[in-house]
Amino acid sequence: MMRTINYGQAINEALAEEMARDKDVILYGLDVAAWGGIFNITKGLLDRFGPERVFDSPISESAMVGAGVGAAIMGLRPVVELQYADFILVAGDEIFFKAGLWRYMHGGAFKVPLVVRLPSGATGAGPEHSTCPEAYIMHSPGLLCAVPSTAADAKALLKEAIRLDNPVMFFEHRRLYQKRDAIPEGDVTLPFGKGIIRREGRHVTVVAWQYMLSRALKAAEILETEGIEIEIFDPRTLSPFDSETLIESVRKTGACLVVEEGYRRLGVGAEIGAMLMEQAFGYLDRPFRRLAIPDVPVASVKPLVDRVLPSVEDICATCRELAA
Amino acid sequence: MIQNDQLKHIFAKALLTRLFEARLIKLTAEGFLPPLLHPGAGQEVAQIAALSALNDDDPLLYSHRGVGYMVARGTSLSAMIADMAGRAGGTNNGKGGIMHVVDVPNAVYGESGTLGGGLVLSVGMGMALKRRRSDQVVIHFFGDGASNRGTFHEALNWAAVQKLPCIYVCENNGWAVSVPTSVSTAVENIADRAAGYGIPGEVVDGADPNAVMAAISDAARRARAGEGPSLIEIKAIRLLGHYAADPQDYRADAATVKERDPLVTLRQRVIDLGLLSEAEIDAMTADYEAQVEQAVETVKAAPLIDADQAFADLYA
Repeated sequence: MMRTINYGQAINEALAEEMARDKDVILYGLDVAAWGGIFNITKGLLDRFGPERVFDSPISESAMVGAGVGAAIMGLRPVVELQYADFILVAGDEIFFKAGLWRYMHGGAFKVPLVVRLPSGATGAGPEHSTCPEAYIMHSPGLLCAVPSTAADAKALLKEAIRLDNPVMFFEHRRLYQKRDAIPEGDVTLPFGKGIIRREGRHVTVVAWQYMLSRALKAAEILETEGIEIEIFDPRTLSPFDSETLIESVRKTGACLVVEEGYRRLGVGAEIGAMLMEQAFGYLDRPFRRLAIPDVPVASVKPLVDRVLPSVEDICATCRELAA
Repeated sequence: MIQNDQLKHIFAKALLTRLFEARLIKLTAEGFLPPLLHPGAGQEVAQIAALSALNDDDPLLYSHRGVGYMVARGTSLSAMIADMAGRAGGTNNGKGGIMHVVDVPNAVYGESGTLGGGLVLSVGMGMALKRRRSDQVVIHFFGDGASNRGTFHEALNWAAVQKLPCIYVCENNGWAVSVPTSVSTAVENIADRAAGYGIPGEVVDGADPNAVMAAISDAARRARAGEGPSLIEIKAIRLLGHYAADPQDYRADAATVKERDPLVTLRQRVIDLGLLSEAEIDAMTADYEAQVEQAVETVKAAPLIDADQAFADLYA
């Protein structure tokens, strides 16, 4: 009988286990210590590991990430919480140039074992606190990008991220924090660059992760009653991206839809579509499609958010077109 | 009080730096090197004096202006030329050029291409030293222009509140590329900003190695004692342009700046103190020129960097 915990607890367990395993792992960010995080993810870690390893930082996003790079090149393994994924742009130099490039431009003289935890997704907090900016990370050499969708994956991918010698941008979807899943016992990690087929089907391959994965799974149940079987691919990490498993799926179904919570133009779906055109054109017998935020900001109030987020019905409708 | 052998050492390293950099500038004019060199002429004496006040394993983040920092630490001259020339044998495999010379065995931890970008890294480096109970201190050089970046404020506040072992050294040469400090900066002294972070701030004359060494020594003692960071402002002199081929049309002080060359002042001082004779300095000069020439020949004989290096060193 597998234990069931929620996604937020899974992240807390991953942090606790890695901090217990390796004294060089430190954790900091705004509110992570005394309060235990605004989303309650880091609760108990200050008591267990003490203020030298778990501490509250100033609201200085550039310094949070930059200090992480500096600590990493000196041999620590910092985990930084940025509180909102949108803030990668506040710390743009530090994320894209320092974390991503410091090793490269100094000829490989350093390793940068840094994890930046990035709570993401639309929760009604306004246009600067609601986005899923994975595409920026995918666009930038030197950075790894994890997008766990289940509690088990969140724990295993975070443990792997902390052990990797490269900087990882670790997206945690806020709408998943309370989501419960079965989780295996023991010291389980998952490799980056290996996705998973969440549901098998023969008519359309749907690529979705995090909150959009749960919508895709709901759509699959509805479509099944209509005789449409969609295959759902969860990439788990976007950099590196498991194109092999996706292409294998598209070879079976002949159609592909990407559902994402980021902006549509030059988004993750644009990249996946281009990749399929280059590497799997012969397997596609219907046009590649994508559903995304339609290039407007994600507003504060629910009706406006719901209007732009890809819905279960949007997914169903597009899959019906593709399966027709 | 500075010891005579330290003064001789500072003069020798500054002389080597000046000769080396002059040769690099000549090589840019000859087309062997790209003109992407930001000369540090006028600032070497203070740079080397500052580093002479520390241990050679104290982690260094340097500023883009000049090579005195690396000469002080003993980084290979030919490796630095190779970094510029795109030849094999450099420190960063052709990735960073002269702007990202790195030499971890000599505690040279690199440079940020975005000016002031290293300030926030120094915070984490200080965190790592503090966590290890290390006796080392991080020294970070940057210019007056970079002191107007937000990273300066974020780093100094953070280092101060966590009492990190960091020494912040602002080399104020009066210019941010072509913009004079009076146009860019509201305060007379960058060091005055230390008060905003509750840390010691001190202004020193960059032509006076005694003053520089004393200020850095005090800052290092405080840092090693767990008392946190300091901000030292060196009033510096930029003798040359922003980059090697800069015509400097914007400079009002172009005619007079050479009269204030700190290396000329120091040369006279070591002679007056009887530490070196004119003849000994001439012999040193000839020796260093030969060392530089040897380094140039080594690089000219080296192969071009393998183009596939473009794909190396990105991920560990």
